[in-house]
Formats: sequence, C-alpha cells, structure tokens
Amino acid sequence: MFDVGAKPGLWFVWATLLPLGSFVLLLLAGGVRAAARASKNRGGYGAVFFDLLGGDQPGKTSAYVALAAIALAFACSLVGSLTYLSDHHHVQELQDEIATLQERIPEAKGDERARLKAQVDEKRHQFEEFEHQLHERWSGRYDWAYLWSWEHLQPGGPEKNPAPGTLLQLGYRIDNLTITMFLMVTFIASFIHLFSIGYMSEELDREVADHQVHTAHGHLHRRGRFGRFFMFLSLFCFSMLNLVLADNLFQVFVSWELVGICSYLLIGFYYERSSATNAANKAFITNRVGDAGFIIGLLILWTYVGTFNFEEIFARIRAPLSDGHNPEYKLAGQVVRVQPKGEPQDGRQTFVWTPDGSGSHVALFPVTDHLHGIGDQEEQVTEITVGENKASSWGVMPYWLLVAAGLGVFLGCVGKSAQFPLHVWLPDAMEGPTPVSALILAATMVAAGVYLVGRVFPLFTPESRLVIAYTGGITLFVAATIAIVMTDIKKVLAYSTVSQLGYMMLALGVGGWAAGLFHLVTHAFFKALLFLGSGSVIHGCHHEQEMTRMGGLYSKMKITAWTMLIGCLAIAGTPMLSGWYSKDAIIAQALGFAVVYPQHSLLFVLPLVTAGITTFYMFRMWFLTFTGEPRDRQVYELAHESPWTMTLPLVVLAVFTVMVGWGWPIWDAHESVLEKHIHHGQHYSVHAEIGHVGVFEGKIVDPMWHGVKKPEHENIRLKVLENHGWAGLLALGAAGLGAIFALSVYYFRTLDPAEAAEQFGGLHRFLAHKWYFDEWYSAVLVRPALTVANWCRAFDTRVIDGVVDSLGRATVAVARGHGRFDNGFIDGLVNLTGNAIFATGTALRRVQTGFLRSYILFLALAAVGLFAALSYFVSLVNAG
Amino acid sequence: MTDIGLTHYLVLGAVLFVCGVLCMAIKRNGIGILMGVELVLNGANVNFVAFAQFSPTFQVEGQIFALFVIVLAAAEAAIALAIVLNFYNNHLTVDVDTAEELKG
Repeated sequence: MFDVGAKPGLWFVWATLLPLGSFVLLLLAGGVRAAARASKNRGGYGAVFFDLLGGDQPGKTSAYVALAAIALAFACSLVGSLTYLSDHHHVQELQDEIATLQERIPEAKGDERARLKAQVDEKRHQFEEFEHQLHERWSGRYDWAYLWSWEHLQPGGPEKNPAPGTLLQLGYRIDNLTITMFLMVTFIASFIHLFSIGYMSEELDREVADHQVHTAHGHLHRRGRFGRFFMFLSLFCFSMLNLVLADNLFQVFVSWELVGICSYLLIGFYYERSSATNAANKAFITNRVGDAGFIIGLLILWTYVGTFNFEEIFARIRAPLSDGHNPEYKLAGQVVRVQPKGEPQDGRQTFVWTPDGSGSHVALFPVTDHLHGIGDQEEQVTEITVGENKASSWGVMPYWLLVAAGLGVFLGCVGKSAQFPLHVWLPDAMEGPTPVSALILAATMVAAGVYLVGRVFPLFTPESRLVIAYTGGITLFVAATIAIVMTDIKKVLAYSTVSQLGYMMLALGVGGWAAGLFHLVTHAFFKALLFLGSGSVIHGCHHEQEMTRMGGLYSKMKITAWTMLIGCLAIAGTPMLSGWYSKDAIIAQALGFAVVYPQHSLLFVLPLVTAGITTFYMFRMWFLTFTGEPRDRQVYELAHESPWTMTLPLVVLAVFTVMVGWGWPIWDAHESVLEKHIHHGQHYSVHAEIGHVGVFEGKIVDPMWHGVKKPEHENIRLKVLENHGWAGLLALGAAGLGAIFALSVYYFRTLDPAEAAEQFGGLHRFLAHKWYFDEWYSAVLVRPALTVANWCRAFDTRVIDGVVDSLGRATVAVARGHGRFDNGFIDGLVNLTGNAIFATGTALRRVQTGFLRSYILFLALAAVGLFAALSYFVSLVNAG
Repeated sequence: MTDIGLTHYLVLGAVLFVCGVLCMAIKRNGIGILMGVELVLNGANVNFVAFAQFSPTFQVEGQIFALFVIVLAAAEAAIALAIVLNFYNNHLTVDVDTAEELKG
C-alpha cells in the first residue's frame, strides 16, 4: 500500500528547519552588517559589505526571507499532512471493518460466531502489523548524547546495551495531533508574517521616534529594527514547530525554553520602554516558576522511567493495550498499582497487585513487544519481582512521585499557558508589537502548555487531572471577569485568551482530550484574527489602544470591523462558527463529568457562566470600538483603514474562523471534521485510556480495543453523548444572554455602564485591579523577597565586605611590616657584607705599591717568615 | 785549619743568595736587579753542587740540576734583557720605580 522504507515524516522536519535557516541567515547578515557599519564611511570591503547587506535602510528583504521560510514550511506541512492522511485512510478502513464485524458478533450464533471472531482476530493482527509499519514510516529517532555508563562497555557498545537514563535522543513522531498543530502554526504564522510587514513598516526607517520614551532631548530616536523583528519571529517559529515535532520530553523542554526566550525578546522588542522590559522580565520570571516544576517532573521521570520518549514513558507507566495472551485485557491503558510484599531479598523486592487500586507503588512495565500483563485472569501475573530499575525490565515507582511528576510537568504548562495562578504575565506581555501578541500570546506559544498537557496525557493520574480541571475552571472564570472591565483593547483580548486557555485546560482535566485540543485549534484562528484586528485598529488609530477614546470606527475601517465581528461571534460560540463546535464539545464533556461526579458540578457551572461573560465582554469590546459616537474627535478624524498586507490576513483568518470547525452536516456539532480528526488520533497519540466511541455488547468501548475500559470513564463518555444536546442548548442560552446584555448596555444604551460601575463600585474596583493578583503577589512574594534581599545586601556590605576589607587591611599592614624588615634587615645585611668587603679591599690595595722592589722585599720576608715558622715547627716536632 | 766541608759551601750559598735578594730589593736599576737574580741563582747552584759532592744519593741529580739552572739563567737573562730594553724604550730609563702601573 505504501513504501515502508520511505520517511515522509521528514517533510515535517524540513518544515521545522526552514525557519531555523531563515533565523541563521538573518542573524549572520545582520551581524555582518552591524560589524561593517563602523567602516561605512571609510570605504573598502567593510563599506561594500555594509551596502550589500542593505546599508542604512535594508528594506524588506528580511521579511521576505522569513515569510518565504514559514510559507514553505506551511507547504511542507501540507504535503506531509496529505501523505499522512492518505496513509491513515487505510487504517481507518480497517478499523471500521473490524468495528462492523464486532457489531455482528452478538447477533451471530454457533459456527458463524466463531468464524466472525476468527475474522476479527485476523483483522486485528493485520491492523497491528499495519500500525507498526506506519509507526516506522512516520517517526524517527536520532541519538544525540550518551551519558556514560558501565553497560556501554559490553560488546556492541551503547547501541546494543542502552542503559536506562543514559541516552538523550532527538526525534519526531507524526500523528493526528502533530499534523493539526503543524498546519495551524505554519498557516497562522504565515499570515502574521504578512501582517507584520505592514504593521512594522515604521521600523524600516533610518530613524524611528519612540513617543513613549522620553530622554533629556525629547523623544527617543533610534534606528529601525525591522530585520531583527523578523529574525525573532523565525526563531520563534522554529522553536514552536520543534516543540510540536518532538517525540520526547527532552526535545520539548529545549524548545520550550527557546519559545520562552523568543517571547522574552519579542515582548521586550521596544526595550527602551521600561514598561516593555518589565513585562518581558515578568513573563520570563513567571515562566521560570513553572519551568522549575517542569524540571522536577522531568527528573522524576528520568530517574524512575529511564526515558524521555513519550511512547516509552506511556508504555512503562500504563498497562499495555493487550497483553499478548489475552486481548480482552482488563487493565488495558491503566495505571496499575502494587503493594510491596515481604522483605527484600538479594536486593529484589516482590510487589503484589492490588485490584482495588490502593497500592502505594505503580508498576512500571518493561518496554518490550510482547508481555504478560498484570491481572487476575489466566496467564497473567499478580506478583512482580523488581531488582534494578531498568527500562527493559519490570520496575516500580511510588505512586505519589508519579502524581508529582504529572503535576510538575503541568506546572510548566501552567506557566506557559498563563493559567491561574501564573496568569499574571500574559496581559502585561501586550507591551510587545501586536503581531507578536497575535502569534505568540494568542495563537501558538500559550497553546504550547495545553498541547503538552494533551501530549503527555497518560502521565496524569486522576488526582492530577482533577487539579488540571480546577486550575482551568478557576482561570477561565477569573480572567473572564477581569476582561469585562478592561478598557485597553489588547488587554481585553489578553484576558480573553487566558480565559479560553482555561477552557482548554478544563476540557483536558475532565477527560475531553479531543475537545480541549480542538478548542486549541479553533481558538488559535479566531484569537489570531481578533488580535490582528485589534492591531489593525491600533495601527489605524495611530497607536491608540484605549477603547474609551475610540467609538464609531465602523465607518472608517469596514473590513477590520466585519472581520472582528466574525471573531467575536466565533469566540462567543455562535452556531456554525468554529468556536461553537469546540466550546460545545468542552461544555458537554464538563456536563458529563459533573453528572458522574456531582461533587464537582462547579466544573460545569463555571464554564457555562463564563460562556455568557465571554459573549458580553467580546461584544462590549466590539461596540465600544466600532459603534456609537466617536469619543475622541482627534483619533476619529485621523483613523484610516490599514493597507492590504494587514487586511488580507484578516479576511483569510476570518474565512478560516468560520470554516475550520465545519463537517457535514454543518449544523450538527458532533460532525466537525477537525474534531473527528483529532479524536481519531487520540488512540495513537496517548494510547487508549480514553478510547473513541463505539458500541459493543451494549457497552461504550473503543471499537479497536474492545477490552473493558475503566467503568467510570465509560460513564463519562456515555453521559457526554446523552447530554451533548442539553449542554449545547445551555451554552447557547448563556451566550445569548451575554450578547443581549452587551447589546442593551453598549448599543441601545438602555443601561449606562458608568452608572453600573458606580453602583457596584467595590466589585468594579476589584475587577479593574485584576482581582488584586499583582498587589497580592507584590505583598506576599515580591516585597518579602525584596526585604530578604535587602537583609542580604546589608549582611553583604557589613559582614562579608567587612571581613574582606579587614582581611585586606591586615594584609596591607603585614606587607608594610614585611617591607620594613626587607629594607632594613635583609638589605642591611647584604650591604654590610658588601661594605665589609669593600673596606677590606680598600685596606689591602695599599699593599699593591706597584714597586718591583717592594714586591721582592715582601717575597723575601715571606720566605724568611715561612722558613722561621717551618723551623719552629720542626724544632717542636723534634723536641716532642 | 779544618777541611772545607758541606757547611762552608752552604754558608757560601746562603751568603750569595742573601746578597742577590738584597741586590734585587735595593737596586733601582733594572740591570742591577738582573744581576741580583744571577746571584740568587748561583747561590742555589752552589748548594746543588755541594750536595752532589757530599751526599751519596744526590751525586748525579745535583749536577744535572745545576746545569739546568745555568741554562735557565741564560734564557732568563736573554728574556729579562729584552724586557729591560723595552722598558727603556717606553720610559727612557731603567729605573724600575717608574714602572708603577700595577699600583693598586
């Protein structure tokens, strides 16, 4: 059916590397130009290079390079995705065939039944084979770094003896989620690049005046930074795509940090403004808090599971889908908890399976093709014996550590996706240029957290998932309430983004894997549209962001107004627009969860109420901006529609905002093609804890793996299906109420918002101060930290500096004494010797008369003297 | 009158030696100093010859040493006279006290 040896997944690798190439090119060119600038007036090669690379006004070349890279990346992703879809069409056919056969089994009798079962088994075998081949075709792993281990000394080297936790790999694995993310990211990024060419055109000038920065000589004047902007965009695109491409947590983490640094660079793009640098710092530092959790999670997994590869992690911590002997494996896809039994012997400890799921440890399954499962059926083991924790053998890890690993990784996602309580950075990050807000802070980067939660979904135990759900629930409500009172058009959108991300997290937390990720994609389109629309408004109003100074702009910018209206309708959940399909799926999932667990009804009430609030604040924004009387004549008079490079992306994104959720029939919320596409990938992406829906012997099961699922989950799935209609109606009702309310307040003016604000002064203040999060953090974290820092500084200046200073002074004193000793005593001794010798010489020189006669006399006298002495001694000897 | 014995020769040698040394120490004339040197050498020669006469173990050696000394004195006189001539050329005198370049 296809060439097994080919690696069409490399299309996606190319799509990832293209923006990296663009980044490197722009970096080198910009670097050389900056280095050559010094010699631009001096002539010679430096000036030639400088002129070749654009001179003082380099033009739009950098934008074209970056745009070409990302557009080509989109083309690559498209080719790869189409190939992938055609491959998976066959899988789908097989799956459907098996499902139909299985449905016929209960009705069949005797021989017919046995024949059907045999057929199903054969088909399933074929399917497994097929899936294996597909896996080979669509994934690749490349060794990156070996950490040294004794086992590598065995014959065959590291390749044959992979010690656990010693090999870092880079790799890619393409599944439905990956291709969806790739298409979404490259598509939106392409249009945002195009939009930026228009929006950032001021940066092309040789000298840009920044009216927000005041220096001693008036406004700040600086060189335009057009190329730098596109360089950062390219780096960002590479990082984001690499994050999505990765098949292991290590690569994800590296990209994660790259994405973080890109957001830092882009938020702080106008780095002369202190507000921008503060916002960039805040974003970066808040994300560090989350990433600390991420690292802890990574370390736990590395230590116990011994691998970063997603599939291997899942294969270790979740029971296999079938255990090789028994396709109806009871514990398939679940976390299996075991309890230590007896004392350890020879460093090996026996663990026994706890059917009620109360064990203190989690069984880690060996990564092999074929194994026995744990369970109480024939041919299954109930006891495992564990020695060394190796990836290829049975292992255990404490259950609480698995929970901690999950929560740690989730904390990273909380930071990146701006969830409560780390959401404070995102609204501030609106200091960056608006295309950045659209690309990074709405459509892609903040979605990375949600994406990762979806990607490592099997890592989350029920407790972790509940934490995720509540985090999402709190976030979506808090952010939506703040969005009501914001007057900065971008701040409204920022809080709206936080709120929508909360929806996604909530959906994932209550088990709606596909619903959450579906909303991720649809949200990316309409939020990019809304942000670009706000960018167009801001550009048209000459950098006016306050909605209190807008109003009546509809007649000035019709395209922007219409496209933004589509965005508002979509985010509000208007039927047939993309937001409707995804929000409906989320609320249905939440309702199903709340029906099964009535104690968690809040998780349904919050999104429902917030759906109404969302509609209200979105329409408030639209009405305040585009309708009514202009509140500021000057802004109104100067306002104009943006150039085509900015309106074209708006129109295209608006079209996609409408259509991206469609299926056939389009009025059926269940039939969204995109959601089905994501849903089909669920089994392949995160294994089958939560299978897709099929019916077998009256139970809702995964059509492929008709093994029995965890009953509670079936219940949720069942309730979701039962209540989908109700949930949709309720959400629609809430949204309608919000819309009517907004219409009456801000269009028909039956209620005066200022009066209402006065009446609920306390609440208004509370919301306008963003629930006092910043103040609270400042009081609880920043100020104590500053106090401690001041103490440390005092300690440093007084004690440590004191010790160092006195040490220095003591050293100087000792050195002085030593100098004196050296000058006085030692030099004196040496001089004395010299003087003595000189004196001796002076005394003796008188003997050297130069008269021959005196020498002879001395000679004679000496001879006589010697003779006399000799005689004396001889006489002594003789006498003795 | 007793026979002339070894002691007489030795006394003669000593007298000659002392005369020579005194001559060298006192004379300022370079030639006079050379004469003194000859006296000293001859005083020694007298001793050699006397010992050759009176000592049974020293008969040949004494005479040979005396001959060596005579040859040596001749060579020495030749060289010393050359020095004196040169000295005279430089100083226009043979007064050795004028040669005080070596004075310390």
